[in-house]
Amino acid sequence: MSAPEQRMTRYLRISGVLIILGLLVEALSLIRIHPLSFLAFMFIGGGLLAAGVVTFLYSLVAIADHPSPEEHT
Amino acid sequence: MAFVPDPTTLLYLLIAVSILLIVFLISRPSLTASSVGKQMAFVVLFVLPVVVASMGAAEHMRRSEQTEFCLSCHIMAPYGQSLYIDDPAHIPAAHFQNARIPRDEACYTCHTDYVMYGTILTKIGGLRHVYVQYLGKPENPIHLYTPYNNRECLHCHDGARSFVEGATHMAIMPDILSNQISCVSSGCHDNVHDVAHLSGLKFWQEPK
Repeated sequence: MSAPEQRMTRYLRISGVLIILGLLVEALSLIRIHPLSFLAFMFIGGGLLAAGVVTFLYSLVAIADHPSPEEHT
Repeated sequence: MAFVPDPTTLLYLLIAVSILLIVFLISRPSLTASSVGKQMAFVVLFVLPVVVASMGAAEHMRRSEQTEFCLSCHIMAPYGQSLYIDDPAHIPAAHFQNARIPRDEACYTCHTDYVMYGTILTKIGGLRHVYVQYLGKPENPIHLYTPYNNRECLHCHDGARSFVEGATHMAIMPDILSNQISCVSSGCHDNVHDVAHLSGLKFWQEPK
Protein backbone atom coordinates (compact mmCIF):
# COMPACT_ATOMS: atom_id res chain seq x y z
CA MET A 1 0.00 0.00 0.00
CA SER A 2 1.43 3.42 -0.99
CA ALA A 3 1.91 6.23 1.54
CA PRO A 4 -1.09 8.31 0.28
CA GLU A 5 -3.29 5.21 0.42
CA GLN A 6 -2.18 4.56 3.99
CA ARG A 7 -2.93 8.17 4.88
CA MET A 8 -6.35 7.92 3.22
CA THR A 9 -7.07 4.71 5.13
CA ARG A 10 -6.12 6.36 8.42
CA TYR A 11 -8.35 9.37 7.71
CA LEU A 12 -11.22 7.07 6.70
CA ARG A 13 -10.92 5.13 9.95
CA ILE A 14 -10.81 8.27 12.11
CA SER A 15 -13.73 9.77 10.21
CA GLY A 16 -15.73 6.52 10.39
CA VAL A 17 -15.19 6.10 14.13
CA LEU A 18 -16.17 9.73 14.84
CA ILE A 19 -19.33 9.39 12.72
CA ILE A 20 -20.29 6.08 14.36
CA LEU A 21 -19.87 7.67 17.83
CA GLY A 22 -21.97 10.65 16.70
CA LEU A 23 -24.68 8.36 15.33
CA LEU A 24 -24.75 6.35 18.57
CA VAL A 25 -25.13 9.55 20.62
CA GLU A 26 -27.94 10.68 18.29
CA ALA A 27 -29.68 7.30 18.66
CA LEU A 28 -29.38 7.44 22.48
CA SER A 29 -30.69 11.01 22.55
CA LEU A 30 -33.93 9.83 20.94
CA ILE A 31 -34.76 7.51 23.84
CA ARG A 32 -36.06 10.22 26.20
CA ILE A 33 -37.99 13.43 25.62
CA HIS A 34 -35.93 15.79 27.79
CA PRO A 35 -34.00 19.07 27.28
CA LEU A 36 -30.72 17.29 28.10
CA SER A 37 -31.40 14.79 25.27
CA PHE A 38 -31.83 17.76 22.95
CA LEU A 39 -28.51 19.23 24.11
CA ALA A 40 -26.73 15.87 23.81
CA PHE A 41 -28.05 15.55 20.27
CA MET A 42 -27.09 19.11 19.29
CA PHE A 43 -23.69 19.46 20.86
CA ILE A 44 -22.21 15.99 21.49
CA GLY A 45 -23.81 14.03 18.61
CA GLY A 46 -23.71 16.98 16.21
CA GLY A 47 -20.11 17.79 17.19
CA LEU A 48 -18.90 14.22 16.63
CA LEU A 49 -20.73 13.98 13.29
CA ALA A 50 -19.36 17.32 12.15
CA ALA A 51 -15.82 16.31 13.18
CA GLY A 52 -16.16 13.02 11.28
CA VAL A 53 -17.51 14.64 8.14
CA VAL A 54 -14.85 17.37 8.23
CA THR A 55 -12.11 14.74 8.70
CA PHE A 56 -13.41 12.87 5.64
CA LEU A 57 -13.61 16.03 3.53
CA TYR A 58 -10.13 17.05 4.70
CA SER A 59 -8.79 13.64 3.66
CA LEU A 60 -10.00 14.26 0.09
CA VAL A 61 -8.23 17.60 -0.04
CA ALA A 62 -5.07 16.37 1.70
CA ILE A 63 -4.67 13.37 -0.62
CA ALA A 64 -5.30 15.52 -3.70
CA ASP A 65 -2.64 17.97 -2.48
CA HIS A 66 -0.06 15.20 -2.03
CA PRO A 67 -0.41 12.83 -4.99
CA SER A 68 1.64 9.62 -5.01
CA PRO A 69 5.11 9.69 -6.73
CA GLU A 70 3.69 7.61 -9.63
CA GLU A 71 1.14 10.37 -10.35
CA HIS A 72 3.98 12.94 -10.54
CA THR A 73 5.75 11.08 -13.31
CA MET B 1 -52.71 -0.32 4.05
CA ALA B 2 -48.97 0.21 3.53
CA PHE B 3 -46.75 0.28 6.61
CA VAL B 4 -45.45 3.78 7.21
CA PRO B 5 -42.87 3.90 10.03
CA ASP B 6 -42.96 6.86 12.43
CA PRO B 7 -40.07 9.35 12.13
CA THR B 8 -38.23 7.94 15.15
CA THR B 9 -38.31 4.36 13.80
CA LEU B 10 -37.16 5.61 10.41
CA LEU B 11 -34.33 7.49 12.06
CA TYR B 12 -33.23 4.42 14.04
CA LEU B 13 -33.26 2.37 10.82
CA LEU B 14 -31.21 4.97 9.00
CA ILE B 15 -28.71 5.17 11.88
CA ALA B 16 -28.36 1.37 11.92
CA VAL B 17 -27.85 1.20 8.13
CA SER B 18 -25.32 4.06 8.27
CA ILE B 19 -23.31 2.35 11.04
CA LEU B 20 -23.26 -0.96 9.15
CA LEU B 21 -22.08 0.74 5.95
CA ILE B 22 -19.38 2.69 7.79
CA VAL B 23 -18.10 -0.46 9.51
CA PHE B 24 -18.07 -2.23 6.12
CA LEU B 25 -16.17 0.66 4.53
CA ILE B 26 -13.53 1.11 7.21
CA SER B 27 -12.94 -2.64 7.40
CA ARG B 28 -12.24 -2.70 3.64
CA PRO B 29 -10.51 0.63 2.91
CA SER B 30 -9.12 -0.79 -0.35
CA LEU B 31 -12.65 -0.34 -1.77
CA THR B 32 -12.02 3.40 -1.98
CA ALA B 33 -9.26 2.84 -4.56
CA SER B 34 -11.90 2.49 -7.27
CA SER B 35 -14.15 5.27 -8.52
CA VAL B 36 -17.30 3.48 -7.30
CA GLY B 37 -15.66 2.98 -3.89
CA LYS B 38 -14.88 6.70 -3.65
CA GLN B 39 -18.50 7.53 -4.47
CA MET B 40 -19.65 5.03 -1.86
CA ALA B 41 -17.34 6.59 0.73
CA PHE B 42 -18.78 10.02 -0.10
CA VAL B 43 -22.34 8.78 0.40
CA VAL B 44 -21.55 6.86 3.59
CA LEU B 45 -19.25 9.41 5.27
CA PHE B 46 -20.90 12.61 4.09
CA VAL B 47 -24.42 12.30 2.65
CA LEU B 48 -25.85 9.80 5.18
CA PRO B 49 -24.55 11.61 8.31
CA VAL B 50 -25.90 14.93 7.00
CA VAL B 51 -29.30 13.33 6.27
CA VAL B 52 -29.40 11.65 9.71
CA ALA B 53 -28.41 14.89 11.47
CA SER B 54 -31.07 16.87 9.57
CA MET B 55 -33.81 14.33 10.29
CA GLY B 56 -32.70 14.09 13.93
CA ALA B 57 -32.76 17.88 14.30
CA ALA B 58 -36.29 18.02 12.84
CA GLU B 59 -37.44 15.27 15.20
CA HIS B 60 -35.88 16.95 18.25
CA MET B 61 -37.44 20.29 17.27
CA ARG B 62 -40.84 18.57 17.03
CA ARG B 63 -40.32 16.90 20.41
CA SER B 64 -39.27 20.16 22.05
CA GLU B 65 -42.71 21.58 21.28
CA GLN B 66 -44.44 18.88 23.31
CA THR B 67 -45.97 19.48 26.72
CA GLU B 68 -44.12 16.40 28.00
CA PHE B 69 -40.79 18.03 27.05
CA CYS B 70 -41.49 21.23 29.03
CA LEU B 71 -42.80 19.34 32.05
CA SER B 72 -39.83 16.95 32.13
CA CYS B 73 -38.02 19.45 34.41
CA HIS B 74 -39.24 19.17 38.03
CA ILE B 75 -39.50 22.92 38.39
CA MET B 76 -42.26 22.93 35.77
CA ALA B 77 -44.42 20.28 37.47
CA PRO B 78 -46.72 22.75 39.31
CA TYR B 79 -47.30 24.59 36.01
CA GLY B 80 -48.36 21.32 34.44
CA GLN B 81 -50.67 20.68 37.38
CA SER B 82 -52.20 24.16 36.99
CA LEU B 83 -53.54 23.08 33.59
CA TYR B 84 -55.95 20.77 35.45
CA ILE B 85 -57.39 23.36 37.87
CA ASP B 86 -61.17 22.94 37.81
CA ASP B 87 -61.98 26.63 37.36
CA PRO B 88 -63.01 28.24 34.03
CA ALA B 89 -61.64 31.59 35.22
CA HIS B 90 -58.16 30.09 35.25
CA ILE B 91 -56.96 30.98 31.75
CA PRO B 92 -54.37 28.24 31.01
CA ALA B 93 -56.62 25.54 32.52
CA ALA B 94 -59.67 26.71 30.52
CA HIS B 95 -57.64 26.70 27.29
CA PHE B 96 -56.12 23.28 28.01
CA GLN B 97 -59.27 21.51 29.23
CA ASN B 98 -61.51 22.87 26.46
CA ALA B 99 -58.95 21.95 23.77
CA ARG B 100 -58.64 25.55 22.60
CA ILE B 101 -54.97 24.68 22.24
CA PRO B 102 -53.49 21.27 21.31
CA ARG B 103 -53.02 19.50 24.67
CA ASP B 104 -49.79 17.80 23.59
CA GLU B 105 -48.29 21.20 22.66
CA ALA B 106 -49.95 23.31 25.34
CA CYS B 107 -46.88 25.17 26.67
CA TYR B 108 -45.42 25.87 23.23
CA THR B 109 -48.72 27.10 21.73
CA CYS B 110 -49.07 29.93 24.26
CA HIS B 111 -45.39 30.63 24.96
CA THR B 112 -43.86 30.70 21.49
CA ASP B 113 -43.24 34.02 19.73
CA TYR B 114 -45.61 34.44 16.79
CA VAL B 115 -43.11 36.42 14.73
CA MET B 116 -40.75 35.60 11.90
CA TYR B 117 -38.20 33.04 13.19
CA GLY B 118 -40.26 32.88 16.40
CA THR B 119 -39.66 29.15 16.74
CA ILE B 120 -35.88 29.66 16.59
CA LEU B 121 -36.07 32.53 19.10
CA THR B 122 -38.14 30.34 21.41
CA LYS B 123 -35.56 27.54 21.17
CA ILE B 124 -32.77 29.98 22.04
CA GLY B 125 -34.88 31.08 25.02
CA GLY B 126 -35.22 27.39 25.88
CA LEU B 127 -31.42 27.02 25.96
CA ARG B 128 -31.40 29.85 28.50
CA HIS B 129 -33.95 27.92 30.60
CA VAL B 130 -31.63 24.90 30.56
CA TYR B 131 -28.63 27.05 31.49
CA VAL B 132 -30.49 28.59 34.43
CA GLN B 133 -31.83 25.19 35.54
CA TYR B 134 -28.49 23.34 35.53
CA LEU B 135 -25.78 25.99 35.83
CA GLY B 136 -27.57 28.99 37.32
CA LYS B 137 -30.09 29.52 40.09
CA PRO B 138 -33.74 29.39 39.03
CA GLU B 139 -35.88 32.01 40.73
CA ASN B 140 -38.67 30.86 42.98
CA PRO B 141 -41.31 31.29 41.68
CA ILE B 142 -40.01 31.25 38.12
CA HIS B 143 -41.09 34.09 35.87
CA LEU B 144 -40.95 35.09 32.22
CA TYR B 145 -37.82 36.95 31.06
CA THR B 146 -40.02 39.55 29.35
CA PRO B 147 -43.66 40.52 30.00
CA TYR B 148 -46.18 38.29 28.21
CA ASN B 149 -46.94 39.81 24.81
CA ASN B 150 -50.61 40.25 23.72
CA ARG B 151 -49.48 39.16 20.26
CA GLU B 152 -49.48 35.54 21.46
CA CYS B 153 -53.16 35.78 22.55
CA LEU B 154 -54.16 37.73 19.43
CA HIS B 155 -52.61 35.09 17.19
CA CYS B 156 -55.80 33.07 17.79
CA HIS B 157 -58.27 35.56 19.31
CA ASP B 158 -57.88 38.50 16.95
CA GLY B 159 -60.80 38.38 14.54
CA ALA B 160 -62.78 35.95 16.69
CA ARG B 161 -66.35 37.20 17.15
CA SER B 162 -66.34 36.61 20.92
CA PHE B 163 -63.24 38.78 21.17
CA VAL B 164 -63.93 41.66 18.76
CA GLU B 165 -67.60 42.08 19.80
CA GLY B 166 -66.87 42.05 23.53
CA ALA B 167 -67.81 45.48 24.96
CA THR B 168 -64.67 45.75 27.10
CA HIS B 169 -62.40 44.66 24.28
CA MET B 170 -64.02 47.17 21.86
CA ALA B 171 -63.48 50.04 24.31
CA ILE B 172 -59.74 49.42 24.66
CA MET B 173 -58.97 47.65 21.37
CA PRO B 174 -56.17 50.04 20.22
CA ASP B 175 -54.39 49.58 23.56
CA ILE B 176 -54.75 45.79 23.35
CA LEU B 177 -53.43 45.70 19.80
CA SER B 178 -50.49 47.96 20.62
CA ASN B 179 -49.68 45.96 23.76
CA GLN B 180 -50.25 49.01 25.98
CA ILE B 181 -52.73 47.07 28.08
CA SER B 182 -51.73 43.49 28.81
CA CYS B 183 -54.31 40.74 28.45
CA VAL B 184 -52.91 38.85 31.44
CA SER B 185 -51.63 41.46 33.87
CA SER B 186 -54.19 44.23 33.62
CA GLY B 187 -56.73 42.72 35.99
CA CYS B 188 -58.77 41.31 33.08
CA HIS B 189 -57.42 37.77 32.60
CA ASP B 190 -54.79 37.66 35.32
CA ASN B 191 -55.70 34.28 36.75
CA VAL B 192 -52.73 32.55 35.15
CA HIS B 193 -50.77 29.54 36.49
CA ASP B 194 -51.71 30.14 40.13
CA VAL B 195 -49.09 27.70 41.39
CA ALA B 196 -48.86 29.26 44.85
CA HIS B 197 -52.37 28.10 45.77
CA LEU B 198 -52.52 24.70 44.09
CA SER B 199 -53.00 22.80 47.34
CA GLY B 200 -56.37 24.40 48.03
CA LEU B 201 -57.81 23.92 44.54
CA LYS B 202 -59.98 21.28 42.89
CA PHE B 203 -58.61 19.50 39.81
CA TRP B 204 -60.23 18.20 36.65
CA GLN B 205 -59.79 14.50 35.91
CA GLU B 206 -59.15 13.95 32.22
CA PRO B 207 -61.41 11.12 30.99
CA LYS B 208 -59.49 8.04 29.85
